[in-house]
Amino acid sequence: MECSSCPPAAARPDRPHTFLHHQVTQCPGCQVPREARVVLRGNETVELVFCKECGQRERVISSDAKGYVQALVARGEDAATAPGEHLFKTTTSTCPQCTGLVPARVMIRDGQVYFHKDCAACGPSQALVSEDAAYYARAYGFARAGTEPHVFATEVSHGCPTDCGTCGDHEQHTCLPIIEVTDHCNLECPICIVDNQYSNHLDVDDFARMVDTLVRNEGQCESIALSGGEPTSHPRIMDLVRIASRPEVGRAVIITNGLRLGRDRKFAQEVKDSGAYVGLQLDGFSAETHERIRGRDLTEDKAAALAVLKEFRIPTQLIAVVARGVNEDQVGQLVELLMGEEHLLSLNFQPAAFTGQGGGTFPHDPMDRLTIPGLIKAIDRQTQGRVRGSDFAPLPCSHPQCVSLTYMLRLNDGSYLPFPRFIDVSHHLGLLRSSATLGSSPEMQETLMDVIHDVYARQDTVDRAPEVLAALRRVLLEMFPDRPMTPREAVRMGEGQAKSIFIHHYMDRHDFDLERLRKCCHHYPQVDGRIMPACGFNMFHRGAAKGPDTPLPSWGKKPWTRDSPSLPSASPRLPLIR
Amino acid sequence: MDAGFSVAAVRVTSPAVDPLSMGALTGKSALVTGGSRGLGRALCVALAQAGAHVSFNYKSADDDAAQTLELLRAYAVKSSAHKVSVLDKVGLKTLVERIEEDTGSLDILINNAGVSQAVPLALMEEADWDLVMDTNVKGAFLCSQAVLRGMVHRRHGRILNISSLAGVKMLQAPVHYCAAKAALKGFTEGLAKEVGRYGITVNCLAPGILEGGVGHNVPPARLQEYLRHTSLARVGKLEEIASVAAFLVAPENSYMNGATIVVDGAV
Repeated sequence: MECSSCPPAAARPDRPHTFLHHQVTQCPGCQVPREARVVLRGNETVELVFCKECGQRERVISSDAKGYVQALVARGEDAATAPGEHLFKTTTSTCPQCTGLVPARVMIRDGQVYFHKDCAACGPSQALVSEDAAYYARAYGFARAGTEPHVFATEVSHGCPTDCGTCGDHEQHTCLPIIEVTDHCNLECPICIVDNQYSNHLDVDDFARMVDTLVRNEGQCESIALSGGEPTSHPRIMDLVRIASRPEVGRAVIITNGLRLGRDRKFAQEVKDSGAYVGLQLDGFSAETHERIRGRDLTEDKAAALAVLKEFRIPTQLIAVVARGVNEDQVGQLVELLMGEEHLLSLNFQPAAFTGQGGGTFPHDPMDRLTIPGLIKAIDRQTQGRVRGSDFAPLPCSHPQCVSLTYMLRLNDGSYLPFPRFIDVSHHLGLLRSSATLGSSPEMQETLMDVIHDVYARQDTVDRAPEVLAALRRVLLEMFPDRPMTPREAVRMGEGQAKSIFIHHYMDRHDFDLERLRKCCHHYPQVDGRIMPACGFNMFHRGAAKGPDTPLPSWGKKPWTRDSPSLPSASPRLPLIR
Repeated sequence: MDAGFSVAAVRVTSPAVDPLSMGALTGKSALVTGGSRGLGRALCVALAQAGAHVSFNYKSADDDAAQTLELLRAYAVKSSAHKVSVLDKVGLKTLVERIEEDTGSLDILINNAGVSQAVPLALMEEADWDLVMDTNVKGAFLCSQAVLRGMVHRRHGRILNISSLAGVKMLQAPVHYCAAKAALKGFTEGLAKEVGRYGITVNCLAPGILEGGVGHNVPPARLQEYLRHTSLARVGKLEEIASVAAFLVAPENSYMNGATIVVDGAV
């Protein structure tokens, strides 16, 4: 029961620093090579080192934090255009053969970024990480301090990623919890992460406890995603939706392949009545695309699902996995679909990550794969500039290499204009958030006020300034009425004001980067109470980083494990740099 | 004739005087609303004395405006008078554009224009209420909005709203005037919060009764009562208020924001 008397949930505390990157260093105590977090704290740049022998140690490496970031970005930008191969930085990745953690040199060559790795057991390897080194370097300039959950699920005792999670050294709270409610699926996708040909359905009471844990840890959640397997095959899926639809949760989102929605109108009506949102997997429009990514021709099934979602006006996010040489030619069509339908709020592109039950063995070339900059270029080209490459910016609240996004403001004539057409988003980082829609937070209100003043002051040089200002006025008035709102109402108010396009590149054994995992904000809550960063869970806990039967690390735990986290007394495979 | 102006602006650039007389506002550009007479004229002169280029608007008194301009000739600053109402949004936009073009920027706005009527509530007509509220409050809103764009762009500005003791203390004064002047205090505080992040400060000055001010027609008995409760035992001079105002809009006054300064001889 919602209480209108209680004050809103306490705001989550900010992290005491801005996490920037990892690098190889030595423990200031025992001098053993370790991986350090490089963070910005006030005007200083500091290395934070967790050493199992010496505990938490730190060392100031620069007294000019701003200058440090500028130099880092400049180093990458210079290398992007310089001939030859250049070391940009170091980090920790995984060996593509044994999936153990190994040090990696981040190299820039011919304008692209590669990891160079040397595994003591398996030998050297390389992997393409970014198709645009300048974008990669500049992304670090977007880094922004994270916030902490009210409660951490685990303690810092062995280091990252062994302590997952999330522990007190994790650099971001849970922006998007993804709960896998079943391991059953009515498809068997060649790209799928999950071992999903079973019929284990999450117990309703367990699900309720997981939601309770999320609310306890986070205070409020803007979204909870119900995933699988295919979540609509859970026999009590609507009960789960009802449990997730509590006042502290902005929206419950069913991530689905759409097969049941397209065939079962009664179910579609139930979804509509529940107020749930749908994340519809839609990778393209051709039979060949569906066959290669999803295992069979789904053209008619997807058309049926889209028709039902439109008929019932169910707010929907489209989710497209895009792989090199498979469906990258259809991203423009997907953008056009998004722009044409009011109930389609957002489009989430996921450059294929080759991990998991199916994905681990999906045909791919780790040296020629689609990355975020490549997808941005494809969108620019295929939409004839309606959405330009310059409209995208890294998402600061996650690791900036993980997500790129653009929000497009709905003008009062119904057309959409990306925010970067009228502001420099690097000056308004509050706009870049991990949400499909604009949120009615105080921070967003302040950001919008800044945007309005910015455009107001430069209106002679801003295209369509009167239309933009009129639209921003509408946004303010509708999203921030003079009355209190529940989180759910606040989410609703943000819809229809703007559409968004996200590009989220999940990691696999080739491009895994421990520093990205450190700030991951898409988490899988587990039945044992842990909240696991997505790529860490996919890599180390599913037992499928290379496909079926990939050995688990000694500290790995399979999904559905009820035991509390237990670590062997023997030293696990820590990210030691030797 | 200028677009949006009922009468062409009078522009005067005076010959140079001793640059050593220049003060804290040298090189700044200021707009004073209602600057043709009374406190407005004193404000114009004080700002020019401090070295600011001074523009002012007025509603109808051409002769008074010309006299103010004549006074400003004594200073080595650009000065101009513009016949445009503080309620003429289009005219104000053009005015601000001209000042910015002429002086390179507009750093200071003093919302001084105001009217009052000695009418008791019982006889107050809607038109009376609207006139006082519009001129005092809506005028400040429209003028501030007109200058804000450039100030935000330059990340610097000073806005000073001229309120009154009648807006902050319980005095026997017309209710619409008291309400309007109290509104300016709230307007000041709200705007100060809103635009402080852009380096723009917004403050409010609340004078007591002044020689030659809007209180000049206060009945003798009420004036005596006022003086009896004023520690300095006299009304203020326009120049005394203007010099305080010149400090309030100076760069040196950099940490005061959202404040209402009462200058009343201690009533």
